[in-house]
Amino acid sequence: MQPGGPLVTRWFDGQHPRARSVRVRIEGDELLMHTGEEVRHFPLKEVRWPERRSHGQRQTDLPDGGMIQHADAAEWDQWWLAQGLPESAVVGWMQSWRATLASMAGTVVFLAVAWVWGVPWLSQTLAHAVPETLEARIGKQSMEQMDSLFLEPSELPEAQQADLRRRFETVVQRAYPAGDAPAWQLSFHKSEILGANAFALPGGYIVMTDELVELLNDQPDAIVGILAHELGHVQHRDGLDMLVRASLVSALVGVVLGDASGFIATVPATLATQSYSRDAERRADAHAAEMLHAAGISPAVMAVFFERMVEEEGDGAEGAAQGEGAADEEEGASLPIAISSHPDHGERIRFFREWGR
Amino acid sequence: MGPQDDFAATQVLVRDGDTTAQTPSSRWLDIQFTGSGSEYFRIWIVNLLLTLVTLTLYWPFARARRMAYFQNNTLVGGDPLGFHADPWKMFRGYLLMLVLGISYWAVSNFVPEFTWVPFLVLMVLWPALWRASLQFRLRNTSWRGVRLTFKGDLKSAYLAMLPFFLPGLVFVFTMPPLDPEAEVVPETFQTFAAIFGFVTLAFMVLAPWLFLRIKRYQHGGYGFAQERTELQVSGVQMYGLFLKMFGVMLLVLLAAFLIALGIAMIAFGTAAFTGGFRPGGGGAWMAVIPFVIVAAFYLAMPLVLGPYVASRTQNLFWDNTRSQRVAFQSNLTFRSMFRVNLVNLLLIVITLGLYWPFAKVRTARVKLEAMALQMDGDVEQWLAQAQKQEKGVLGDAAGDFFGMDMGL
Repeated sequence: MQPGGPLVTRWFDGQHPRARSVRVRIEGDELLMHTGEEVRHFPLKEVRWPERRSHGQRQTDLPDGGMIQHADAAEWDQWWLAQGLPESAVVGWMQSWRATLASMAGTVVFLAVAWVWGVPWLSQTLAHAVPETLEARIGKQSMEQMDSLFLEPSELPEAQQADLRRRFETVVQRAYPAGDAPAWQLSFHKSEILGANAFALPGGYIVMTDELVELLNDQPDAIVGILAHELGHVQHRDGLDMLVRASLVSALVGVVLGDASGFIATVPATLATQSYSRDAERRADAHAAEMLHAAGISPAVMAVFFERMVEEEGDGAEGAAQGEGAADEEEGASLPIAISSHPDHGERIRFFREWGR
Repeated sequence: MGPQDDFAATQVLVRDGDTTAQTPSSRWLDIQFTGSGSEYFRIWIVNLLLTLVTLTLYWPFARARRMAYFQNNTLVGGDPLGFHADPWKMFRGYLLMLVLGISYWAVSNFVPEFTWVPFLVLMVLWPALWRASLQFRLRNTSWRGVRLTFKGDLKSAYLAMLPFFLPGLVFVFTMPPLDPEAEVVPETFQTFAAIFGFVTLAFMVLAPWLFLRIKRYQHGGYGFAQERTELQVSGVQMYGLFLKMFGVMLLVLLAAFLIALGIAMIAFGTAAFTGGFRPGGGGAWMAVIPFVIVAAFYLAMPLVLGPYVASRTQNLFWDNTRSQRVAFQSNLTFRSMFRVNLVNLLLIVITLGLYWPFAKVRTARVKLEAMALQMDGDVEQWLAQAQKQEKGVLGDAAGDFFGMDMGL
């Protein structure tokens, strides 16, 4: 066979499952097909050529519904390349291991950039783009849900609640002298399921459990510090942010893993989401430290809280002792850092002790 | 190439040892899969990068290429299946699905009390989308230049799917108001609980039969030339298979439990032997047992039950799919599926997922090469029916979006 010359191949007319031997060649902007009885002309633009690959036969779709099928892929490719027709660059990449490795590196870089900048930026932008009325609605709904599932009316004395509320209000006023604090709404609830815990929901709902107040009965400043931490979540809109992030992460994992088994796919998504969650906690800790400092309270008071949490967990109080923070935590603090939603207590104690030094 | 060997690839492999009543003119067509893991790896990586940098807009093009690769490498009697879908049409369908998917996400997260609206719309459209996706897929698949068709009608699609929605509808209409202001009447809740329990139980009992109806619709609609397939599986066969699968699942559970118990006992024994009886030490070990059971279960399920279900369902459905002149045969063994799954899982873990495209190709090879077709008469004399207008791009996108496919 001469390069550029005709190629003997097989043709199906699209009506009968029967192959016929034909000769094809390209002349000008037409594909000519000699069937033995006649010569058929097809405009090159309307012919759909197969992509070059190392395996599989070559099938070319003709505009009239017919098809040219060539079993010897190498022979076809040689003939076709000799015609000098344009080929998509992507097809070349997929035949080259160098381009494949470059694509792999590109994929890793893309995922790293998305991880460090893309997802946080997009989720923050989207979270802050949600109108406040809508956010308040979402918060109200989650609050009602939490209320019916986990929360009971508080059994704390009214006076103690009012005192804590007043202390926190003072700190907020000092930390936001311009009065630009985000709207918040604090409530106390008894909850045996959640134990010593506090969380913030979208729309500024802050909930603290009776159990946490009892744990820190002699340390009202630490309680105020925890509330400041929750206000940090409110200000950064972490509730919505995490919602968007979790969806973005699972979309990303879905694209990369394709139709990989559902359970396997949840593992990287969970790890990634938990890592973002730890970042949000550190940010809220920093916010708490700044607020306490602005109100003239040493951030070191927070260390007591974490020390007591460590003690509580060390006593083997199963499940009752949970860290403060987002509402979704199920795991105890003894979990390895990679799968925990919060940084470990030691790190946080150091953070608050050494703050401002 | 001379005219003589033009038809070389068209030769069919005649099985010698087969003694079943075989008319002289009936021929066996073997299925071969010629795809290569390393080539699919390259396709996968390049597709993945392009999909990521275009924020998934490239996805339909990647999908078209992937489907073409798998179909072009599936040789039926030596001739490959063709894939002819226009990726730009698939792109339009994908955009629509993207808009629908994002709206659904937004509604269910931001206005959860209205989640039922898109859900209901989807339910109403689902059977039509399902059928459209089957039509699109079959119409764009060819063998020996003749396009396949899907001939199932719209009404049957709804009839096959409808029973799956009934339980949900019953719940919606009988559910007592969940208004916190409303007074709670215990009897209402009891009635609802009774209805809930009854409907769930009835659904579980009927599930194999309902599933069979779905499969009957699917496998009863495949068309090639004048042929139209039908699925000859009885309810008894279907229930038999479900019972067997249930039995295997129980066995796996039991095995996982026993293994976990064994591990825990060994660990406990060692702890007691080396560390003495520290107070609380045993409690910690006991607390670990459920996790070990769950882990063993999660490992055993895809490794044992997965191959069992995959091989038995493929055999049941394809072995009993036939038309007037075509009969399918499927001899997929549990052992071959188990082996390929085990090796795939191990290598995927070792290579941190990079083995995945190789695994896809291996699985496809095992599944496809377990099948064969028997054709009566001279296929070259068959005549394709007139092709209809192309439509149903949305259906194709929807089918893939929600993980529905032909089952092979």
